[in-house]
Amino acid sequence: MPEIFIDGKRYEFEGKPKLLQFILDNGKEVPFFCYHPEMSAPANCRQCYVKVGTPVQNRETGEYELDENGERVIRWFPKMQTSCSMEMTDGMVVHTQETSEEVARAQKDTMELILINHPLDCPICDQAGECPLQIQTYKYGPEGSRFEVKKVHKPKRVELGPRVTLDAERCINCTRCVRFTEEISGTHQLTISSRGDKNYPITAPGMEFDDPYSLNTVDICPVGALTSTDFRFKARVWEMNQTPSIDITGGKGTNVDLWTRDNLVLRLTPRYNENVNTHWMPDEARMAYRKFNENRISRPSIKADGDNQIKTSWNNAIETFAEKLEAVKPADVLVLGSAHASVEENYSLMKLFSTWGVSDFHFSPDVKEGFGDDFLLTDDQAPNTNGVKALGFSETSAEDLKAAIKSAKVVVLLNDELVDRGVLDSEDLKKPFVISLATNETETSKSTDLVIPITCIAEHAASYVNVEGRIQRSLPAKETKYTHRKLDLEMSEGRLDRYGTNFDNWVNEDNKVDCTPTWELMNNLGKRLGLSVQFGTSREIMDEIASSNSSFEGVSYEKMDDENGIQLTGMNKEEVSA
Amino acid sequence: MSFDWKSYTPVIIPDIPNLHEIDVYTKNGGYDSLKKVLSNDWDPEKVINEVKAANIRGRGGAGFNAGLKWSFMPKPDGGPRYLACNGDESEPGTFKDRKIFEYNPHLFIEGALIAAYAMQCSAIYVYIRGEYYSWIKMMEKALKDAYDKGFIGKNILGSGFDVEFHVTGGAGAYICGEETSMLESLEGKRGYPRVKPPFPAQKGLWGRPTTINNIETLSCVPLVIKNGADWFSGIGAETHPGPVLYGISGHVNRPGVYELPTGMPIETLINEVAGGMRNGKKLKGLIPGGSSTPILTAEMVKGTNMDADSLREAGSMMGTAGMIVMDEDTDMVEMLWRISHFYHHESCGQCTPCREGTGWLEKILLKIRNGDGEIRDLELLIDLCSQMEGRTICALADAAAWPVRYTIDRFRDEFEARCKKSTYALA
Repeated sequence: MPEIFIDGKRYEFEGKPKLLQFILDNGKEVPFFCYHPEMSAPANCRQCYVKVGTPVQNRETGEYELDENGERVIRWFPKMQTSCSMEMTDGMVVHTQETSEEVARAQKDTMELILINHPLDCPICDQAGECPLQIQTYKYGPEGSRFEVKKVHKPKRVELGPRVTLDAERCINCTRCVRFTEEISGTHQLTISSRGDKNYPITAPGMEFDDPYSLNTVDICPVGALTSTDFRFKARVWEMNQTPSIDITGGKGTNVDLWTRDNLVLRLTPRYNENVNTHWMPDEARMAYRKFNENRISRPSIKADGDNQIKTSWNNAIETFAEKLEAVKPADVLVLGSAHASVEENYSLMKLFSTWGVSDFHFSPDVKEGFGDDFLLTDDQAPNTNGVKALGFSETSAEDLKAAIKSAKVVVLLNDELVDRGVLDSEDLKKPFVISLATNETETSKSTDLVIPITCIAEHAASYVNVEGRIQRSLPAKETKYTHRKLDLEMSEGRLDRYGTNFDNWVNEDNKVDCTPTWELMNNLGKRLGLSVQFGTSREIMDEIASSNSSFEGVSYEKMDDENGIQLTGMNKEEVSA
Repeated sequence: MSFDWKSYTPVIIPDIPNLHEIDVYTKNGGYDSLKKVLSNDWDPEKVINEVKAANIRGRGGAGFNAGLKWSFMPKPDGGPRYLACNGDESEPGTFKDRKIFEYNPHLFIEGALIAAYAMQCSAIYVYIRGEYYSWIKMMEKALKDAYDKGFIGKNILGSGFDVEFHVTGGAGAYICGEETSMLESLEGKRGYPRVKPPFPAQKGLWGRPTTINNIETLSCVPLVIKNGADWFSGIGAETHPGPVLYGISGHVNRPGVYELPTGMPIETLINEVAGGMRNGKKLKGLIPGGSSTPILTAEMVKGTNMDADSLREAGSMMGTAGMIVMDEDTDMVEMLWRISHFYHHESCGQCTPCREGTGWLEKILLKIRNGDGEIRDLELLIDLCSQMEGRTICALADAAAWPVRYTIDRFRDEFEARCKKSTYALA
């Protein structure tokens, strides 16, 4: 296998990797700005310098020449090379800043030059705390500034598009955003204008940066030049907790991170998953954070005096639920699962009601033809269609659904906005007694008779199967009135929980929603109905599903965490409806 | 070297009226070299060897043996191959290719055609800077005449060799004279130089093998074919032979373009060929090959000849042979600031050291020029030069740094006198 020596240590490699990616993969650090593993390497920031040499080979024999100590003679490249564009060859010798004074000085010089026109915006810049420029200046940069003349001024606070704001002075012209629109999203909306140190990224005259993936450029921008207009000035990075989860606005199952502070989700950013979305995320998925905070239903409510919904207690809600069920036969009850809800929620619903006597279960698909593109948007607007189907819910069209509701006396609806989506009218729900388990206050929840609030994805650990048959799980990021970060084993410890003082950990109880996970509701309902079903935590429910349902064979939370999601067999991409 | 320059007969810009008309050109032996090369006795390899032996060193500034550069092209694989002719001519002090476009365009066209034949190219692109609008029109006319006479196109002179020839104009960027930047501009993109490797001979225009040559270099090719490699390599200096167009400008009585052999003593060029220093002033400094080349003091000019080796020994470079002559009244600080201003304006902005460095250099020099500079600013300037040289994608940063470094080095007293007295050490 070809070998390479980096800082005196020997490594083997295969194929034709670029030097910088190889160095990073082996746990060493070389500073860089313009390089991104998914895009072309333009080598224009000049920060990733290394000193490279190749061993001298005898032209005829192919043998390496040796010096008097028996070491290979190395011919060093006269100039230092940028490792992001350097191809590795057999026998190459590399010195990074750790073992070479020259390289460290070159990196320091580049840092100094980047900083001379960079504005001193750190106190007001969103990027502070997650800024590669800050980190690399601290580690590899000069100690002070020798720049005693005027800095270049460029437009600040430019509305590049509906979601992205540009601050041209902060830009270091790494061209990551331009290459993103050229190579990844394909819209070619950004370019660099002007020449020399007056250049900055811009759209064509009169055009907006309305790329459906525009906010990814905010993630990849190494400085605070491109910022999210929605998130600007909302919170500092170190105040927020970061929790891994899944996107629920579409069927792709994009891996995301939820950022919470004071129990409110403030933003979503993509999480790397090489099998699903790599580094990217569609813009519409980022706006989902509003649904976790706003318009939440806190405490159950019952309709009384016509259309008024009055808040009631949990005891009363469960009592009403059970009474209505006991008054009818199982055949009169219509149970609707949801592709918008997780596997565990649908399973617990199904298990309880099938134990009670209901024989068939339905769900309404949420597909918008032509909505998807080849990238991360799919026609399927729901995150768990495949999961719901695999559990045994049957896909029901709008007409069949309306007919079924007409002939039912009690309808149980799990977390699906049927009226808002246009599948049903609120008139259709007037006749039977409708119980909805919902997260947000919508037209649908307002049309139902008994509304019981359940946890949304930000508040529970649960699994979702995407359009390609991959099962992935969320972690709870928000506390409810009944969960506590320090006591819930599924929740990760927040930064302020570990390091903060009592003054940092302000708690606003209003941000905690009075809701419960579906399976716990089913537990209470089962007890009241005298059934012998019992559900544990969502982790235990998944183990139960894995052992009883062949589609979910071998699935467990540990395995999903280890492998970043599991591809379920029997759900090929061809069989999928999307 | 004693040489009777007055008896030299120019061959690149001969003294024949209306030589730009194709009929006058062909009557004076024009396109004979092309016919010779397309005949059965010559094949592409022979052409390359002849040109290599003649040692035509690139006249665009780098001075690389043209025939050797041609031999870097890979074997034909059936796809298109290109010859790109660099007529960007933006180096300050350089104005020689303009003469060829105006007075002898067909010599260049013939040279390009021979080169395309040697490298088996399918198309030739000549890139002329946008500011030369009239000369672009002249070139278009000359090409049309050559097409009409059958010297360009399909099956040229019945030889089976096809080639197209296109003119493109630039849009006002010095950086587009850099070869890979010129290719980007030809492709219609922003003129950002490319990272090398891969080199243009492997991956040039649209990813295909491409060779880039200067206009004057290609103009020498028909002369070599006509008179032989030995004739060419016998003219002028031994290691840097051939006729060359000297562009003498500045404080002389007769600035202009003069065609003479390489290796002329600089003093002869200034005092005799260009009619001597203006107003009888003394020489203070000379930039020998365009503003990127280090400046020579009057002392260093003595005994130095205009060829690559002699100039390198003296501490400068041949460049484009665009000589800028400065007399004793020249303010070196002002001159250096103006050159830095040029490089700051022309930096493409792709990579950090040049984009930020050229701006910083100019701003410090402006400070010194206005009388606010301090001694430590001079040390800072030299330090910055080290930060820029050799660290960038193309050589513009080197071209910006060398004048600063060498002018300050060789005219230190003048710069120090301009600075305020300062006892602070460099921060």
